[in-house]
Amino acid sequence: MKRRNLLKLCTAAGLGFASPVGERYLVKAEENRTESPPYEGPYYIVFNASGGWDTTYLMDPKGVNNINRLYQQGDILTQGNIRFAPNAKQITAGLSNEDFFSKYTNELLVFNGLDYSVNNHSPCSRYMATGKLDSLEYPTFAALIAACNGSDTPLAFLTFGQYSATGNLVPLSRVPYLSSLKRLANADGVDGSPHTFYSDDFVRDRIETALMAQRAAQVSEPRLPRLQRAQSMLYAAQFNSKALNRITPYIPKSQGKGRLPSQVDIALASFKAGVCVSANLSIGQFDSHANNDVDQMKLIPELLAGVDYLARKAEELNLRDKLVIVIQSEMGRTPTYNKGNGKDHWSVGSIMFMGAGIKGNRVIGATDDKQFLVPINPKSLAIDQQQGVRVRPEHIHAALREFAGISKHSFSMKFPLDIPAGERLEKFWG
Amino acid sequence: MVEGGSDRGTLVIVDVTAHKCENKMKHLWLAVALMMTVVFYYGIEDKQSGHSTTRSPIVRVTDDGLQPVSYHEPDCIGIDSFFAEEVWGKVGERTCLKCHNAKGDAAESEFVLQATLQDRTALEKNRQAFLRMAKAQENGQSRLLLKVSGKLEHGGGEVLETNSTGYKILSRFTGQNAGTPKPLSAELDFRPFFDGIQMLTPRRLLRRITLSLGARLPTAVEQAAVQKNGLEALNQIVDRIMQEDAFYERLQEAFNDILLIRGYDGVAENALSYEHFKYRNWYQKHDLSLIGNEDAQREARYKLAREYREAMLREPLELIKYIVRNERPFTEILTADYIMVTPYTSRGYGIYENLKDKFKDPDDPFEYIPARLPSLKHRDGRSHQESPTGFYPHAGLLSTFQYLKRYPTTETNRNRLRVRMYFEHFLGVDIMALAPRVNDAAKITSEYEIPTMEATDCVVCHKVIDPVAGLFQDYYALDGKGVYGPRKEGWYQDMFGSGLYGEDLPDEQRWRSLQWLGERTAHDPRFAVAMVKHVWYTLYGRKPLLPPEDIDDPLFSAKRRAYQAQRNEIEQIASRFARESFNLKVIFRELVGSKFYQVERLNVSAKTPNRLAELDDLGLIHMLSPEQLERKLTAIFGKQWGLLTNRDSNFKILYGGIDSKTVTRRIADPSGAMGAIQRIMANDVACRNVAADFSLPANERRLFPMIEPDVLPGLDAESDHKIKEAIVHLHDLILGREDSVNDQEVQRTFELFAGIISDARSQGEFDPRESYACQTLREKTPRDPDPEYTIRAWRGVVTYLLRQLDFLYE
Repeated sequence: MKRRNLLKLCTAAGLGFASPVGERYLVKAEENRTESPPYEGPYYIVFNASGGWDTTYLMDPKGVNNINRLYQQGDILTQGNIRFAPNAKQITAGLSNEDFFSKYTNELLVFNGLDYSVNNHSPCSRYMATGKLDSLEYPTFAALIAACNGSDTPLAFLTFGQYSATGNLVPLSRVPYLSSLKRLANADGVDGSPHTFYSDDFVRDRIETALMAQRAAQVSEPRLPRLQRAQSMLYAAQFNSKALNRITPYIPKSQGKGRLPSQVDIALASFKAGVCVSANLSIGQFDSHANNDVDQMKLIPELLAGVDYLARKAEELNLRDKLVIVIQSEMGRTPTYNKGNGKDHWSVGSIMFMGAGIKGNRVIGATDDKQFLVPINPKSLAIDQQQGVRVRPEHIHAALREFAGISKHSFSMKFPLDIPAGERLEKFWG
Repeated sequence: MVEGGSDRGTLVIVDVTAHKCENKMKHLWLAVALMMTVVFYYGIEDKQSGHSTTRSPIVRVTDDGLQPVSYHEPDCIGIDSFFAEEVWGKVGERTCLKCHNAKGDAAESEFVLQATLQDRTALEKNRQAFLRMAKAQENGQSRLLLKVSGKLEHGGGEVLETNSTGYKILSRFTGQNAGTPKPLSAELDFRPFFDGIQMLTPRRLLRRITLSLGARLPTAVEQAAVQKNGLEALNQIVDRIMQEDAFYERLQEAFNDILLIRGYDGVAENALSYEHFKYRNWYQKHDLSLIGNEDAQREARYKLAREYREAMLREPLELIKYIVRNERPFTEILTADYIMVTPYTSRGYGIYENLKDKFKDPDDPFEYIPARLPSLKHRDGRSHQESPTGFYPHAGLLSTFQYLKRYPTTETNRNRLRVRMYFEHFLGVDIMALAPRVNDAAKITSEYEIPTMEATDCVVCHKVIDPVAGLFQDYYALDGKGVYGPRKEGWYQDMFGSGLYGEDLPDEQRWRSLQWLGERTAHDPRFAVAMVKHVWYTLYGRKPLLPPEDIDDPLFSAKRRAYQAQRNEIEQIASRFARESFNLKVIFRELVGSKFYQVERLNVSAKTPNRLAELDDLGLIHMLSPEQLERKLTAIFGKQWGLLTNRDSNFKILYGGIDSKTVTRRIADPSGAMGAIQRIMANDVACRNVAADFSLPANERRLFPMIEPDVLPGLDAESDHKIKEAIVHLHDLILGREDSVNDQEVQRTFELFAGIISDARSQGEFDPRESYACQTLREKTPRDPDPEYTIRAWRGVVTYLLRQLDFLYE
């Protein structure tokens, strides 16, 4: 809508701009804006290795007690302060650990010895995504940060799978194909055309104004809470959708090949256009109950290649320094092999972070030679077998919230993490 | 278990088999609550025996029919509100009742409580029980506090830490009441739950029902019936709708949303194992020589395969349809000794020759009839499956190859995924919903040779799960490859033996283990409740509320009240469903007749946080799914739009739809992407329909039967009135509103219409024809004349209406 037309019509309609939810959109119109400004970061990406990764083949190498068949303790490699398992000789595709750590160690924060507390996929996925084990209501971190930082962006929280609860704070978006974005970007164009419109612009302006006036009138009526939310969300969805036209210039001509690159392309185009805050990326099949080593040697390189693809593409788009990347899985794998050469669920694991504001080349926490968790001192972050705390997902999420500057946000307060006094991880991000 | 019944539709259903809590088992409460302590009793009098259940009736069966007992019986008034809301609501009901009930582990104790949801008189009895415990002393301390804190012998061990809110509530209670009880304090707030809520008019309710269940608008006859007889006319209308094909399409879609059964991997016919069904690929060699040339034959074979696969995918859902359409007990989804087959799928099973005379049209790929399969045999004809009857032991959905393939197993999963789904689908229990935390799961895993049988923290769930897993052992479709037989190495010895809730599967029942499971499940009271919840989900687009968990939440009591109001409704309907021979139509009929379904709006604003919390989930207000939106468009405009549901459409997933495989949950709230699709839909549907409608004779038009394009606004009162009447019609047709010409919303739409024409005139010059894209016959000339811009203005009006909540939501 042309701004001048909108304002003229708004005035004619006598809009009061006084609605409780969705009011920000009306207020923006009053402030001579026709759509929300682009969100400019930071952007959050969570990689999920769905099914449970074998951390001993990645950032928590063992090579003892028959935990790994593909290497021995002496084969373990080190890059900077990070020890990792070798796998260049085993893999046929993707990115080797050697190449990954060589390239990204200086940016990587590794946490080993995370206590998932349970070892079933469903609760573990929820726990890792939200930081809360015993509630179905909590939003994932990606959804929470999207709600806090940019709920008025049209694709605030993108998800490509894995646990994606939103806590009713923000709508989630699924965009499986890049081509879909092109069509959505020009909703008023005939068959998505950016040049030929269904209606003349003054017709479109009139329709928007009538909807806005109706929205303003609804506010003064007694409404059920559910109706109030629905009206606000619907109005916001349609209003905000217009910002999708910003995405067109950033849609790559061809979509990256592979499971993660295709997700990365959509996320990055959305970030670049300022229409998205966070994205939940996922690849599955890590649940290697049979033939653990074969599967993990395929999947870990695929995961790392996906992270690398993101970093490279983000660099090209000048987004790299605005990205915060979380690389996680919902559980680990046992230190022993089962009869099918597989490994079963293990409630101890690891998580990695990289990106803007995170001091890299660091490892916090540990597991012992039998892959049991070693507690840490939450203040010094040093290992403390006797007095330390078992770091669980709520500790990590509390730290993440703090890092993102949303721990005091009302949305975060609505979903408290209840970290016991003295257990808050200090200086976690360096 | 169902302990009795009568042919008059009355039965007694008492509780599920009790689970024995282990002493001192920490963390068990949650799991026990999830799986075992569903201690709701139907409480229906058994008129034959005169025996009544352990609780007072919630629905009294009389010769005159049902006499529902109100949730807000006046006999509750006068109960100590501190006890009701704090002691009982936050501690007793959530913690003590799980074992301290007439059938629970603590049934022999002196402290036996009763559920109060359906019998509020029980509240006073419970209060007396708490008072007795509070008064009883041990070394100068209340036994109540000593017990819950584990300081006195207590079967459940420590259930409340002394610094917990629950313990503090009991402390206050004992302080108040130990010794001489004080007189009853403030009365409870018994204001009716629906106080201040306006319900839908019968006419609007009718539209909601016909669109939701019948994918159509009400007929004139139905509207007249409702006009004359109000809500009383609705039951018959609902019954008629439930005979229409559209209802069964909706039913199948709804149950697929729940079961996700269409989402199994691979091509559909691979649900039939290579080992047992050598004709599963019959279509590849089917004689098509009479169908034209090679190209035509190839096309015909593609079509054959496509239809065969669709028929195969749909079979389990057709079973549901068959049961409901014929008003058979819905328990047959667990007990049916048949499957549904078509001329095509029966070929895959190799039983077509035996059935072909039973089909009305052997060439109809979607004509389903019930049939029984012979017991499984190897491709070489060797008998493979033990069966004294010679038939495959069908057990409703449980034994269908599609269900088994949708939820396959692995060497380590050992059928446990199937058990999880069994609990969720048929008993409404999500065993993974709230997993109990243990101190060090890894340590436990490694400390025991068989943790699932030895470690207390694991045993509590696995003693329930693993026996059921054993019941699926002869359907061990490893890695989803579709070989349905026993595991080669024999069933696992490091698992609890096959059975259900402590009842072992008798050896002689092994060959029919899923039938054995299905029979018992059908008698489990949770089955009926689960089915009500499924239909609730179908109609509301969301699940019923869960009980609030956080007793420190200041809104806990309000949330509990909201939960209890829903739960009460669900249980009452479940008991009626059970009594009426598990006819699923009863649930639909009852739920659309429920106040919860009929809520329209608030009469006055709710002010207090408590009341707002109570009302938080009230009102249908559900965004239509892609399929529902398409059906509504078809119902209103008389033709399909298609972009949301076409096979090659990307919009279905974008608009929150599911593929039953990787995307399994519908999106309930619109994102910006969905907002864009709504705009596309509104633009495009209006474009396709407005000029086209005007091109018809007035009496054939849906949208504009009372107006012509030459009627202009602002000329005279009569013209404006005509335009407003046309708007009232559009509001009714598209939005379901019952407006008058003087309504504010009609005025707003009128101003839109008039404003567009005014703007067009102010442009100086405009094309006197409707746009090329939106002409009546797309891609053909001549374009529709529109000299006054009125067709385009009406198109703007329709676009505007299609973007509104009244259209996009239920």
